[in-house]
Amino acid sequence: MAKTLVDSRGTACPGPITDLLRAYRKASNGDVIELLATDPGVKADAKAWCQRTNNEVLSTVEKNGVITVEIKIMGKKG
Amino acid sequence: MPTKGISFIMFSGTADKFIPLGVLTQSAVNLGIPVSIFATGWAIQAFTKGGKDKVNRMPKEFEDMAPMLMQGLKDIKSPSWYEMIKTAKEIGDVKVYVCSMMAQALKVDTDHGLDPIVDDVVGAAAFLQMSAENDKIFI
Repeated sequence: MAKTLVDSRGTACPGPITDLLRAYRKASNGDVIELLATDPGVKADAKAWCQRTNNEVLSTVEKNGVITVEIKIMGKKG
Repeated sequence: MPTKGISFIMFSGTADKFIPLGVLTQSAVNLGIPVSIFATGWAIQAFTKGGKDKVNRMPKEFEDMAPMLMQGLKDIKSPSWYEMIKTAKEIGDVKVYVCSMMAQALKVDTDHGLDPIVDDVVGAAAFLQMSAENDKIFI
């Protein structure tokens, strides 16, 4: 149950979700990925990505222009 | 996860239309959706050796807004369409095909003159057959 920080601040869409995907590939079920981004699209995109990949958005917090999305990994097979 | 993919048919060679190609391709593979790109018509030049740097024409009707858009893309540090396709190929299933008929008509050397991002040169029937199950988007 590791927690991984993915810092995508300053990266334009669709970069943050690609960064999330790369971290996801190294993660295990039960892990939490904390994605930091300044791209405003990340809120809806991270939610859509979780729906598609069967993972879960735990929280989305926006503070001083930085959006932090916490994602619980549960969609990995095998 | 559904395996149905997206096929982009790139015809227009203007720079503005390559932006959604890059963004949608990278976004699709982010979601695990396979992408096929069929470069035809004016878009072929972008897929020739050195061609990616020549994608700078803008449609006449938006010519006055083009500098603002280019500056805006720079401001948000948006990678080029080519970098987005390259990233998409690294992380997912993306194939780039060049239309054999249009390449011939435009006298493109398909043996030595294409960018390495191109996977194959195929006819329209071959591309449509490969894309039979895919959503097809003409850009």
